[in-house]
Amino acid sequence: MMQITCPHCGPRSQSEFVYGRTVDSVVALDAPADQAMTALFTRTNPRGPDDEIWRHTYGCRAWIVITRHRVTNEITATRAVGSEALP
Amino acid sequence: MTDVTITPLPAAPLHVFEIWSNPSAVAKRFSAAMGYDLPATGRSGGTEALRLIRFEPTVWLVEGDVAPLPAILGDDGAITAIGGGIVRVRLSGADWRSLLMESGVFNAEDPAFAAGCSASTVIDHVNVRLHVVSDDVCDAYVPLSYATALLHFWEEASHGLVPTHR
Amino acid sequence: MTGPSRNAAGATLRFTFDGKTYFARPGDTLAAALLANGVALVGRSFKYHRPRGIMTAGIEEPNALVTVGEGGRREPNTRATDLFVYDGLVARSQNRWPNLSFDLGAVFSLAAPMLPAGFYYKTFFGSAKRWMFYEYFIRKAAGLGNAPTEADPDRFSHRAAFCDVLVVGAGPAGLQAALEHAEAGKRVILAEQDAVLGASLIRDPQELDSAWVEATATRIRAAGGRILTRTTASGYWEHDLVTLTERLAEPGAKPAHGLAQRLWHVRAGQVILATGSIERPIAFAHNDRPGVMLSQAARTYVRRFGVLPGKRVVVATNNDDAYLTAAALRDAGADIVAILDARPDLSAAATAAQAAGHPVLTNAVPLSVDGARHCLTKVTAKVDGQTQSWPADLIAVSGGFTPVVHLHMQAGGTLDWNEAAQAFVPKAARQNVTTIGGAANPQPVHPVVPVGNPKKSFIDFQNDVSLADVDLAWAEGYRSVEHLKRYTTLGMATDQGKLSNMAALGRLAEKQGVSIPEAGLTTFRPPYTPVSMGLIAGASGKNAGAHMRRIALHDVHTQKNPIWQPLGYWFRPRAYPQGQETLAQAALREARAVRTGVGMTDVSTLAKFEVSGPDAAAFLDIICATTVSKLAVGRGRYTFMLREDGIVFDDGTVWRLAEDRFLLTSSTGGADRMATHISYVRQYLCPQLRVSAVTVQEHYAGIAIAGPKAKAAMDALIGADAPRHMSTLPATIAGIPVLVLAASYSGERAFEVYVEASHAAPVWAACEAEVTAQGGCLYGLEAMEFLRIEKGHVVVGGEVDGRMTPADLALDKMLNKAGGYIGATGLSRPALSEPGRRQFVGLEAIEGTIPEGAMLVSAEGQSPQGHVSAAAFRIMDGGSIALAQLTDGFSRYGEELIASSPTRGQKARVRVVHPHFYDAAGERYRD
Repeated sequence: MMQITCPHCGPRSQSEFVYGRTVDSVVALDAPADQAMTALFTRTNPRGPDDEIWRHTYGCRAWIVITRHRVTNEITATRAVGSEALP
Repeated sequence: MTDVTITPLPAAPLHVFEIWSNPSAVAKRFSAAMGYDLPATGRSGGTEALRLIRFEPTVWLVEGDVAPLPAILGDDGAITAIGGGIVRVRLSGADWRSLLMESGVFNAEDPAFAAGCSASTVIDHVNVRLHVVSDDVCDAYVPLSYATALLHFWEEASHGLVPTHR
Repeated sequence: MTGPSRNAAGATLRFTFDGKTYFARPGDTLAAALLANGVALVGRSFKYHRPRGIMTAGIEEPNALVTVGEGGRREPNTRATDLFVYDGLVARSQNRWPNLSFDLGAVFSLAAPMLPAGFYYKTFFGSAKRWMFYEYFIRKAAGLGNAPTEADPDRFSHRAAFCDVLVVGAGPAGLQAALEHAEAGKRVILAEQDAVLGASLIRDPQELDSAWVEATATRIRAAGGRILTRTTASGYWEHDLVTLTERLAEPGAKPAHGLAQRLWHVRAGQVILATGSIERPIAFAHNDRPGVMLSQAARTYVRRFGVLPGKRVVVATNNDDAYLTAAALRDAGADIVAILDARPDLSAAATAAQAAGHPVLTNAVPLSVDGARHCLTKVTAKVDGQTQSWPADLIAVSGGFTPVVHLHMQAGGTLDWNEAAQAFVPKAARQNVTTIGGAANPQPVHPVVPVGNPKKSFIDFQNDVSLADVDLAWAEGYRSVEHLKRYTTLGMATDQGKLSNMAALGRLAEKQGVSIPEAGLTTFRPPYTPVSMGLIAGASGKNAGAHMRRIALHDVHTQKNPIWQPLGYWFRPRAYPQGQETLAQAALREARAVRTGVGMTDVSTLAKFEVSGPDAAAFLDIICATTVSKLAVGRGRYTFMLREDGIVFDDGTVWRLAEDRFLLTSSTGGADRMATHISYVRQYLCPQLRVSAVTVQEHYAGIAIAGPKAKAAMDALIGADAPRHMSTLPATIAGIPVLVLAASYSGERAFEVYVEASHAAPVWAACEAEVTAQGGCLYGLEAMEFLRIEKGHVVVGGEVDGRMTPADLALDKMLNKAGGYIGATGLSRPALSEPGRRQFVGLEAIEGTIPEGAMLVSAEGQSPQGHVSAAAFRIMDGGSIALAQLTDGFSRYGEELIASSPTRGQKARVRVVHPHFYDAAGERYRD
């Protein structure tokens, strides 16, 4: 049960979050077809840190980007995404 | 002897106030019109007549009369009613913090989680949004469909609680 | 007189063992109390049914497993050494019939040569019939205790806690660490698995004594620290989360507040492991008998419990610690007949013992023991190569100490080999954890090579694995420690190899010709000691985890005695039988009422989203694959949503309530998924859009009124002209504001009334009164299915099963021709337009009743070309119909197939038809 530091809520339990996908599998809305399908179906799958998007579903409901080491689960960075927010 | 009382409150209007553009401008308009600032994330603000509680970066939960708000938002946001789907449960007594630790993952025993603070978390598989009203009172906003089950869980869990340390 | 004993003074707690009554002192473990009462035989081994006694005084006990408690509180496989006696305790030995002394299972001992490690795998060769025969007997003989069959009457709690320092183990090192951190102002939790604090200090007070323990505990609590006893740190997870299992009542005892155990989820700033070490046995022939005990255990029985485990004692050791046992036993009145020291030279402790009159022998290693069922009679050893024997009723054995490193390893740490101690100690920690005390600094030992008969020298006592079994695994070609473990099952019993791992590694290393650290180690996994399933389930145990979700009008429906149907996590009425109606009869009546008059149903669980803002239409044009932005205010239409790969994943309706405000509905089962999808698109893919998309699934209750008389009913309810099909109108019913949507799922003229859930009851009452007045009735999910199947509406989770494109579902004409919606690029993939795809069709029966879920084949025995996703009957005219997916279905209308369900023994001959069995032209919607 990891601890994830949400940029909006501070350190919280992994149970409050839902994993989305890796950042490299995000399909931009205007991506051409071949690029879109490549992104959807391939991954770099590194044995090391990777960027992932998770949603803080049971918390602030915001999507965030997490840099997580996929073997040790060490989380080195988290950042907010989405429209501009007040502090 | 555990000291916590669990009381569902009567239904009341509840809205969400969302800002999608020009947040600073909206904030200025709000402060000018209402006389206080939009609360920061994890905080609440306002009066009995109109209280805002912020759980999300761009969304505030609003209790009370929302009439003044659409003008403040203008084209920069919207108000949507959601009260029908929420049950407010008032937890009162010295042990409300240790009750919230049961099947929970959030540190409700942190002394910094005090009056005026808010937090959204998961308790016994249910999304619960918390607002600390005073030292002895915390309100929980619970989805209607889960309310019966969660109230039953809290009633049972309230027997044999481990009190909060310090 | 031989065997264990204690004077009877102070024994006030009454308990029974195998039906016989005994008395224990407060603070006794069951093991101590049994020994005190002279009971040395407590169990029979797993495979060979060898007589077994009490070997240890701790959680590592492999033999003394009992079943304690009765009814739903019964706990099998409880270690008698980890169970504190309470008045009225009921305990029984296990794995023996008819009783412990006379166990017929002992015949397996005679069959031992046929039952070595791995014998079970060899039974898989040969005929299956023969295997089924002896499997019956193997199954009966296998296992230890029996699980209870009654429900557990007690509760279990899960509780989160946060601290700066978690200290595991309240021995001298742990107590000191907890004290320092607590008095430095940190939030401290100290966990101790025993009922009392002190650990090794209880056995060996040294300069510190019980007064120090008490005083330290008081200071820790005064500084705000939390001390938990009967609490085991069971697992070390990610980011310094440690689970603690706390017993609030002993196994089998009735707990206060009905709460038996608590599982703490502790997120610690740092963790300090003061977990000590576990003593190792020495392998020799028959080293599993009653009367063979670990040396520190023997000392514990004397010092802590006042029990003398034996009167004529041999001590066998490879280190200095066992000399303390010799002294303690002699002080308690035992006769130490020999001290077998495996080391070649006398250490200082050995010299001192000799000077004190103990018979110390060097180069001395135990060879075998003899005994009857209940006790030992003789110990034989190899001393300087010569064989020597002594009559004895107890042999106290010390083969060294294994640091408890489980939590360190679970946290991802690495181990170092301590050559002097012949043990693994913690090396690098990967999380915020340090190990202190005995666990970090085990005592030096001399390696012992076992000399007894390997077939009778046991290393894993609980699974009956001998040294010969390790040799056999090697002979059969198993080289790695992982294979050795699984082939012999050593280390796989409930004691998880706490006494056996090192001996097995030592033998394997010998065979491999390498050092022990080079031979490797298997993984330590949680839990550290066995955990009740009830504790893992926690409060969820009674309802399997997920709460049932209740609709707003649940209590109103309950009054009508519906048949309730779990649908995902919701409870919804399936039908409202009247009189003696069966489900089928009620559903048919309800469906007919909708076709001929009017019916009313609860549709509150549908996913609903209120989407508002200048970019609301543009946003919905992204989410929905149909055109939304062209909808006029006050109008609505059916829509569906695609995944990025072009597959349909949900459907629903969208309504334009105002220029910049829409209501989107979608399936009940997909509600959470759609909410996640909408937030992902909104926040991550297009955060710049000026739109607010709010989940209002539970804010609105929904009531559907359907049938040829539905319009008349709606007109009366709202006191105005009800909206035409696919239009919306705000109105009031019973003085309450509602939104009326003219939509149909049933195929009849229909309306959905959305009302704020807290005001739903009076609106429902008004609707029900009007529907009844019109001669109609309520209908449930079953009738709803009949209606939509006949109409040919697809359902998410049925026809929409995660493999179908819009074209496959004959919905492609509805696609937004401008593109720009999610899934448009996915649809452009050539494979999605190729022939050979499953396509949505209808089936009517030529002969038989079409089984739902049946496979579609051209002839018996051929490969399936599709399946039946939903089956029903024509509501008014009867006749079996179905909806199906069929390869190239659109070009096969009129073809005859067989719908076959071999597992149910059902089939039907069917004809492929268009899926719209009722009012394909949509006439029923026109007023």
